[in-house]
Amino acid sequence: MVCEGFLPLAKAASVGLGMPNLPVARVIGHPGVQSKEQLRKNALEVTLQQVIDNLLKPPQAVKGDSEPGPRDVVVKGGFDEVNDYFYRNELSDGLPIVPPTVEKVERFLRFTDRDPDESLGSLLPDSRAATIWSIAVNGVMAGCRPEYMPVLVALIEAMADHGYGVEHSGNTPGGETLIVVNGPIIRQLGFNYTQGVMRDGFMPNTAIGRFWRLYLRNVAGFLPHKNDKATFGNTWRVVVAENEDVARKIGWPTTSADFGFGPEDSTVMISRHTGGNHISSVSGATAADLMPYICDALVRQYSWQIMFTVGQGMGTLRPQLLLSPIIAETIAGSGWSKADLRRHLFEHARLPAHQFERILRDWTQKPTWNLKEEHEAGRIPEVFHVSDDPNRMVPLVWKPEDILITVTGDLARNSIYIFAHNGVLGFPTAKRIVLPKRWEELLSRK
Amino acid sequence: MSGNDGYYKALWPRSPRQSKVKPLAKRLDTLAGKTVAQVWDQVFRGDEVFAFLEEGLKARFPGVKFVSWREFGNTHGSEEREVVAALPGKLKSFGADAVVSGMGC
Repeated sequence: MVCEGFLPLAKAASVGLGMPNLPVARVIGHPGVQSKEQLRKNALEVTLQQVIDNLLKPPQAVKGDSEPGPRDVVVKGGFDEVNDYFYRNELSDGLPIVPPTVEKVERFLRFTDRDPDESLGSLLPDSRAATIWSIAVNGVMAGCRPEYMPVLVALIEAMADHGYGVEHSGNTPGGETLIVVNGPIIRQLGFNYTQGVMRDGFMPNTAIGRFWRLYLRNVAGFLPHKNDKATFGNTWRVVVAENEDVARKIGWPTTSADFGFGPEDSTVMISRHTGGNHISSVSGATAADLMPYICDALVRQYSWQIMFTVGQGMGTLRPQLLLSPIIAETIAGSGWSKADLRRHLFEHARLPAHQFERILRDWTQKPTWNLKEEHEAGRIPEVFHVSDDPNRMVPLVWKPEDILITVTGDLARNSIYIFAHNGVLGFPTAKRIVLPKRWEELLSRK
Repeated sequence: MSGNDGYYKALWPRSPRQSKVKPLAKRLDTLAGKTVAQVWDQVFRGDEVFAFLEEGLKARFPGVKFVSWREFGNTHGSEEREVVAALPGKLKSFGADAVVSGMGC
């Protein structure tokens, strides 16, 4: 059963699943804005007959479609001709692409020791192979430099990791992936990790961010009006690199260390967020001074997403904060570790239980909303139901470690940024960037 | 070649689909006396829609039986992979003749 606004998505997804003739029954409008009487009328007058037909009538016969091969040239011509072809055939994002020629792709392949035909996994919804070759092709198109290839490979390894949940990337909220880079690769490739870290204008940050979205389109298959059903959508995000100098100076583990990697490792961490906000002029001379504003701002980024705390996602909400260096230094200057900060946010960035339940029950009509019931059934931690007081304060996440913190941004400004996480539909996933054996030599010759 | 526009032989940026076209299950002759399983992603009022469908199907097909969505778990969320992987076994154990899944909204 599919809402009528989602029928094109159902058709596109069925092809990727190998069942292009999978019959669907239409649900009129959207149940979220219908009275019980309207819902019943629509179900009995329209959906019911289609369900019956789908179960009793033989589905249409289908045959497989034919597509070009991975090394096939699909268009020959000038820059404009190539770009017209790619745009007409939904192979680009609307900006001009760098024509992916064999020569350019081979330059990218020199920066990996992996076989071009190796697949890192099959990506839903299109069920296409995440090959090293296709990574290079899309890297060329995005305007990446060949030496970015190890980063691109690590990103697609993360995309193909089932824990991330790439198949959900076309969901209603239209969240976009945040990529955080750590390790020596930051300096080697020249990532921006200071002022304007999320602004385009720095080639590795910008081009790799664009690559991510192109790969989602061309290989995973997320095309707007088809498998990408974002109500509004978002533009792809510029890659964020951490300021490891500051993290080291204040004795805080970096983002990659939080995921178990060492300082010698270069890494990518991906997580998907439906939005976020710049929290400006966070003021105070001590950690204690800064905390009320930061805790209040953290709570304000979260509304329906708490369904990933209690409900659909059950403990998978991972708020991500970016702290500008002087904010991190001020907090650390009060003797706080990163763990102390997380503990404080967990204990103080809270909302009343009645509000938590109202968002899920009344405002978004989620079937799981009763904190007492969920706790007594052993499905959520006790912290959500320490009493029956509807005004008791409950956390946004299950435990302090669920809050992700990265130090980056303007060295001279007291701001933070808080992302609204999409839970299990883009769960934080980190991968090591594997460099080719001749990395130093290749870099020196570029 | 067109002026200063260069000349390129551009490659296909996609990669081969790993899924092959699968045959769908044979359709039933009737739903009378048959067992219909309900599979739900626990959003968008599917519980209500399934109840309405039960009402409509019972009125038209004598003896039709249902296996509630409650038996299968949530097909969308933190346990979706496990739930979907367990579906074939559960459908067989419940003797399901047909499946209706929702809500794609």
